[in-house]
Amino acid sequence: MRHFLIMTAFAALAAIVFGAVAKDKNNDRLMYGLKVFAEFMVIGLVLSWILYFIPF
Amino acid sequence: MTTAANRQTGSESAPAKAWLMGLAGWLVPGLGHLLQGAWGRALLLGGAVWACFISGFMMGGHLYKYSGTDQGLAGLAQIPPMVGDLGAGLLYIGCWFMGIGFANTPQQAALPTFEYAWTFMLVAGLLNYLCMLDAFDMAAGRKS
Repeated sequence: MRHFLIMTAFAALAAIVFGAVAKDKNNDRLMYGLKVFAEFMVIGLVLSWILYFIPF
Repeated sequence: MTTAANRQTGSESAPAKAWLMGLAGWLVPGLGHLLQGAWGRALLLGGAVWACFISGFMMGGHLYKYSGTDQGLAGLAQIPPMVGDLGAGLLYIGCWFMGIGFANTPQQAALPTFEYAWTFMLVAGLLNYLCMLDAFDMAAGRKS
């Protein structure tokens, strides 16, 4: 659980910065930030499950 | 070259204020935006960088510095993460002066959060480089 919370915190902090600096309009910034957050989370979870099944 | 042509080629020179804002943004995360009156962005960007650095510090992370004691590639390998950590500006310099955050003891390395922690501190520096460039662009009039 601790690992997941740390990953969530990392994704949120990075998404805030990426979202805030990337676009010109606030709505676009929000959507981009949410997209980056979702990408971090999904890719993190997929990678963790892949690594879980690798025996070495 | 005219101003319009400069804008098209992106070759216009930035005013001194932009360099100053970039420097302020690097030294203190969020300050570059704060000095330009962008309170919301300063709070959001500065807050994210500060939170990333402090949480990494509290989880037992360590900062990198080039010590010169390691020979060959081991010594050179310290430079890229040091450049990343240095992005946190005064947070890094302050830790350096106070001699905290650079220890890399076996007890610290045994912490379950150790790998996360130094990554958080490294990423705080890298994110602050982005914030610094954003403050520079705002001051140069390239961004609203």
